[in-house]
Amino acid sequence: MSSVRSRDVAAVAPSFLVWTGFFFAPILYLFVVSFWSVRQYKLVTDASFDNYLLAAGEYRHAIVFTLALAALVGVVTTVFAFAMAYMIRFYAGRFGNVLLFIALTTLFGGYLVKIYAWKGLLGSTGIINQALLAAGLISEPISWLLYSPFAVVITLVHFLLPYALLPINAALRGVDDAPIEAARDLGAPPSRILIDVILPQCERGILTAFALAFFVSAGDYVTPQLVGGTDTFMIGNFIQSQFVNRMNAPVGAALAFATLLMTLLVVALLSLLYRRILKACAT
Amino acid sequence: MTLRAACWLTFGILSAAFLVAPLALVVAFSFGENPHATLPFGNPTLQWYRELFAGDDFLAALQNSAIVTSCVGLLSAVLGTAAAFGFTALDRKLSRLGAQLISLPVMLPPLVLALALATAFSATRIPLGLGTVIPSHLIFTQPFVILIIYARLTAFDRSLIDSARDLGASSLQIFFTITLPLIAPSLIGATLLSMAISLDDFVITFFTIGGGMTLPTLIWGMLRTHLDPTINALGTLVLVLTLGLSVIAFKLTRYKG
Repeated sequence: MSSVRSRDVAAVAPSFLVWTGFFFAPILYLFVVSFWSVRQYKLVTDASFDNYLLAAGEYRHAIVFTLALAALVGVVTTVFAFAMAYMIRFYAGRFGNVLLFIALTTLFGGYLVKIYAWKGLLGSTGIINQALLAAGLISEPISWLLYSPFAVVITLVHFLLPYALLPINAALRGVDDAPIEAARDLGAPPSRILIDVILPQCERGILTAFALAFFVSAGDYVTPQLVGGTDTFMIGNFIQSQFVNRMNAPVGAALAFATLLMTLLVVALLSLLYRRILKACAT
Repeated sequence: MTLRAACWLTFGILSAAFLVAPLALVVAFSFGENPHATLPFGNPTLQWYRELFAGDDFLAALQNSAIVTSCVGLLSAVLGTAAAFGFTALDRKLSRLGAQLISLPVMLPPLVLALALATAFSATRIPLGLGTVIPSHLIFTQPFVILIIYARLTAFDRSLIDSARDLGASSLQIFFTITLPLIAPSLIGATLLSMAISLDDFVITFFTIGGGMTLPTLIWGMLRTHLDPTINALGTLVLVLTLGLSVIAFKLTRYKG
């Protein structure tokens, strides 16, 4: 028995060595660095909470703005994905498989391509403005489509929709027909069935979808940099600039861990309140 | 069809269009004479592809991407399969904890991971290059292989292995004549998926490659400098490669969502 065990440990070992060396140790080191400081472009190992105080002070506004924007993206993506999954479960038939295929196919490819595609679409000479002008709906291009929080939200929703669709779709597929039909036979309106029967059973899928969309948006810096313009600076941009432009890894690291902590708190709070929100909706 | 069903179907078609249209437009622009991302597309042309393939930057980036993607695919397959085998033999609680730990890198924002790696490489004075990009990719591709192979291993008929062992087959014989052929489609699928994820990665690559370029960092460079119409050809190429790998991967693993 003991020889079998050591062989199994040996099988798992290479993966965990890579994990330890290139994930756990670097993250741990970054966490330690977040308490250090920089003097003349060199790391100084005097531990203090100064960087975190900076995150809570000077950068509080950026963190709150980022969390709010990420929460908006999370809610829009989750509701959109739920509507799609609902449509697939109850109305689509074979078309549902087509939608799922599209979502799966576009899941792991073209991150940068998706972002710059929106840059082209939303610009003042972009296709959306062109179409609206041609249709006579507007007389001059809408300037806030691109380089605005709106552009960041629509680009992130587009990128995250497939990720949100899969867990919600799996959850909705697991919802039994019998209680839905029973509720309908007893005269419950569709909104009531949704809140009392379907949504409580989809808790895990919905929370997973929201958490994914929220985490990714809160940590993204590429999207705001490419389509956000000068008034949509998210915390990721500040973190990236601390590292790249100011060579200040400690402040950047503290900002990253502070934001990470805040996003975890938001998701934990939401999962505690999920049932209560549903109850409040029911009354 | 009721009005309600018709409304839902319209919504479904619109959401499919929302997902596909931006990507389809990039592809369409890459084959049109109009150098700006505006309508009309202009006459069909391969001009942008010719210009792209004539560039030295592109060839270097393509070569780097090919090296990274194939190394990451191969290493993910070997390490992931070994780990999945280990997990099936460990007791359930332990393997569950192990799977959760090893999946952590997928859940962290790529920026945090990228900065952690860049900071650690700089502290240990490991020179940046393809040699640092490959293990950095490995930590977020191997979880996919492990989870897919683990699911396949726990689903198949163990009696085949037991009878082979009763008939005197060695562990190696069992692996190469029974287990490997049985898991082969899942293994190839998982490997292709890890290659798609590696090929598409921008953030981690950007911070761990140092001076070189891969296809996504080349796209980034083009976006930062000027509006270069060959970007649509490059984007289309990356889309075809990553989405193509994904489609084959999901077909082989029979994952339908």
